[in-house]
Amino acid sequence: MATARMTPGADLPPPRMTTGPAGWARANLFSSPGNSATTILVGAVSLYLIWQFLGWALGPADWSVIPTLGGTLIIGQYNSETVCPSQDCFWRPQVSLLIGVTFFGILWAVAATALVRGVALTVAFVSAGMALMPLPFSEMGMDVRLLLLLNIPAVFLGYWLGKHTPVSSTRNLIIIAFAGFLLVYILLGGTVFGFFDVPGLQVVPSRYWGGLTLNLLLAAGGITASLPLGILLALGRRSNLPFVKFTCVGVIEFFRGVPLITLLFMSQTLLPLAFPRDFPLDEVMRAGIVITVFSSAYMAENIRGGLQSLHRGQTEAARALGMPPWNTTIFITLPQALRNVVPAIVGQFISLFKDTTLVFIIGMFDILQIGNSFIGSNREFLDNSRELFLFIALVFWTINYGMSYVSRRVEETLGVGRR
Amino acid sequence: MAEPTRSFLTYQGIPVWRHAVIIKWALQMVSAVAVVTLVFWFFSNIAFAINDREIPFGFSFLSRAYGTPVPEHVLPYESTDSYGYALIVAAVNTIVLAIAGVILAILLGTLIGIARISSNWLVSRLALAYVEFFRNVPLLVQLLFFFYFILLLPPLAESYNPFGVMYINNAGFAVPSPMPAGETAFAIAWGVVALVGIAAGFAAHRSLSRRETLTGRVSYPLTAGIAVAAGIAFAAWLAIWALAGEAPLAISTPEPEGRFGRIEGGLRVRSGAIVMLIGLVMYTASFIAEIVRAGIQSVGRGQTEAASALGLRPVGVLRNITFPQALRVIVPPLISQCLNLTKNSSLAAAIGFADLTNVAITMTQTAPAISIFLIIMLAYLLMSLAWSAVGNLYNWRTRIVGT
Repeated sequence: MATARMTPGADLPPPRMTTGPAGWARANLFSSPGNSATTILVGAVSLYLIWQFLGWALGPADWSVIPTLGGTLIIGQYNSETVCPSQDCFWRPQVSLLIGVTFFGILWAVAATALVRGVALTVAFVSAGMALMPLPFSEMGMDVRLLLLLNIPAVFLGYWLGKHTPVSSTRNLIIIAFAGFLLVYILLGGTVFGFFDVPGLQVVPSRYWGGLTLNLLLAAGGITASLPLGILLALGRRSNLPFVKFTCVGVIEFFRGVPLITLLFMSQTLLPLAFPRDFPLDEVMRAGIVITVFSSAYMAENIRGGLQSLHRGQTEAARALGMPPWNTTIFITLPQALRNVVPAIVGQFISLFKDTTLVFIIGMFDILQIGNSFIGSNREFLDNSRELFLFIALVFWTINYGMSYVSRRVEETLGVGRR
Repeated sequence: MAEPTRSFLTYQGIPVWRHAVIIKWALQMVSAVAVVTLVFWFFSNIAFAINDREIPFGFSFLSRAYGTPVPEHVLPYESTDSYGYALIVAAVNTIVLAIAGVILAILLGTLIGIARISSNWLVSRLALAYVEFFRNVPLLVQLLFFFYFILLLPPLAESYNPFGVMYINNAGFAVPSPMPAGETAFAIAWGVVALVGIAAGFAAHRSLSRRETLTGRVSYPLTAGIAVAAGIAFAAWLAIWALAGEAPLAISTPEPEGRFGRIEGGLRVRSGAIVMLIGLVMYTASFIAEIVRAGIQSVGRGQTEAASALGLRPVGVLRNITFPQALRVIVPPLISQCLNLTKNSSLAAAIGFADLTNVAITMTQTAPAISIFLIIMLAYLLMSLAWSAVGNLYNWRTRIVGT
C-alpha cells in the first residue's frame, strides 16, 4: 500500500505590504480611501504650516531679543544698579539654585530609581549648561559661569548626604524642604523677615525679585505648602463633625469659585489690613499665600477623589485590628488615596506653576512682566514680541511637560491601575 | 455584674474622656471657637484698619456716574451711566465671552478628542501634539502672544480684505452679518417667532421619532422638524415684510467710511475680544479634548464591536452608540472646564477687553477698591453656582434609575 507523502512546499513570503515601513503606513495611514484622503490632506496642510513656521523662524525672525534680555529674564532687576548698587548680588539666586539642586540630589539618594536620578541629573546639567551660553564675558562673567558649573558637584553632594547622613527619613526630608525654602527666602532678601538684616548682605526687598526665579520660588513654596494644606482640607471635608465639615466645604468652594486674579488683588489690598502696619508680610509672601490656598482648595478635591475611590473594607479592616481612627487615616487610607491620584496631584502642581504668571497682573516682575515691560519701553523690539513670547512659552512648556512625564513614570512605578 | 466603681465624671457609665459622643462634641466646640475667633480677629482687624488708616470703603459709589467709557459693551452704555450699571455691562460682557468661549471650546475640544483616538496615525499624533502644547503653556503667555500677534497686523488703512467683504486689521475684525434692516423692534419680533418655530420643530421631531419607534411607520422626523421650524420662521418673515414694508433682517457688509476710513456695518469684533476668545478656546479645548478622549475610551469595546457587527458605519457607531454612553462620563468634568473658562476670562485684565475684572481694576482708581473686589468676587461666585446648577441638573436627568 503506497502511502501518499505530503511534501510541504516552500514557505510563502509574508503578504507584501503588511510588514516593514510600507505595511505600517498602509495599516496606520492608508487603511481605507477615506483614511488615505485624510492623511494626504492633513499631511499637506501640516507640512505647509511647518514649512511656513520654519521659514519664519530661520529667516525673518530676529531672536536677538532673548540674549538682549539675557539674565534679566531669569533674575529680573535683582542685580541691577538701583537694587544692588555694588552689582555683586547675582550669586544669591545662584546659590539658591545650588540649594535646590542639592535637594534633588538628596531625593535621588532616597528614591534610588532611575527616574529620580534622571530628573536630578537633568536639572543639574541643564543648570550647569547655562554656564556655556554664548554671551560675551562682559554680559556674563567668569564668576557667574563658575557658580553655575558648581551645580554638578552639588547634585553629587546631595546624593552623598542622602546616602551617608540621616537626612533621608520622610520626616527629615519634609523638614529639609521647609528649611531649604526658608534659607533661600532669607538669602534672597538679605533679611530675616524684616526683623533683622543679615550682616554683609545687601537687603533686596521682595518687590525687586523677578524673572523666572520669582515664578519658580512661588511655585516651589506653593507646592511645598499646598499639598499638606490640601490633605487637611480633604480630611476635614470628610470629617463626621458637622462644623469642621462645613467650614472646609465653605473654604474649598469659595476658593474654587472665584478667579485667582481677584484673590491676588485682595491679597494686595485687603490682606495687609488684617495685620499691624509693620508686620513683615511682603508682597511676594502675600501673593504666595493666596496662590497656595487657592491651589490647596483644588488639591483637596483631587485628594477627596482618591479617598472616595478606596473600598470601605480598608478602614473596616483597620478598625477591626484595633487601630485608632487617626492612625487608620495616616497609615492605611491616605497612602493609598494619594497613590491613586498622583496624576491629578501633579496636574495641580503644573496648574500652580502656570498660575504663578498671574502675578504679572498685580504688577510683580515675573518673567512675563519682564518681557512685556521690556517691549513696552523698547519700541524697536515690538516686532520681536512674537519671538520673545514663543521663547517664554517654550520655557514653561519644557518644565511642565517634564513634570507630567515624571508623573506618568511614577504612576507606572507605583503600579496604579494594575492591582 | 461589676458596677462601675467610680461614678465620677461619667456619662452613660463611660468616663467622659472616652465617650465617643462627648469627644465629638468637645472637638466641635474647640474647632468652632478657634475658627470663629480667627475669623473675628481677621475681620475686626480689617474693620479697625479701615477706620484707622482712613481707607475708602462703602457702596455709595454704585449710584454715582462712572464717567469713563467701557470700550466693548453688549448692553447699551453711556459714560454718564452709574458705576453699578457699568459693572452690570461688564458682567454681561464676561457672560457673553464665557458662553461664546464655552460653545467654541466644546466644538474644538470634541473634534480634537475624537482625532486623538483616530485610527489614522498622523491625525492622532497631531491631536496629541496640540493637547500637549496648549495645556502646558500658561494661558496668560498664550494671550500675550496672540495680543502682540494681532497688534502687529497692518493698521486700519492697510487692512487685509479677504473676499472683498471682510476687514482684518490690528484694531479688530469685521465680517458681513445679518443686521436689523429697519426698526429693531421688527427684528426682535421676528427673532422671537423664529425661536418659537425652532421649539415647535423640536417638538415635531420628538413626537414623530416617538411614533416611529413605537409603530415602526417611517415618519421622517428630522425633515419634518426642520420643515416646521423653517416654515414658521419664513411665514413670520413674510408677515413682517407685508405689514411693515421691509424685511426684518438684511445682510450688512462692513465698509470703510468717513475721512479716517473707520469700518462701519457688519459684525465688528475688537481685537481684545478676539484675543480673549482665541486664547480661551484654544487653551480650554486642549483640556476638553482629553476629557472627551477618556470618556469615549471608557465605553466598553464590546459596545463598538456589537454595533459594527449590526452593520453601523464608524460615524454611526460614534454618534448613536459610543457618544451617548460616553456623555455620562464626559459631562461632569466638562462642566468644571466651563467654570474654569469663565474664571479664566478674568485674564482679560491683562489684555484690554472690558470684562468684569478689567472694568473693576479701572474703577479702583476712582472708587474704593475693596468694595469693588468684594462685588466682583460675589459675581464670579454666582456664575460658579450657575455652572454647578447646570451640572447638578444634568446629573439628576441622567441618573441611573433603580440602583
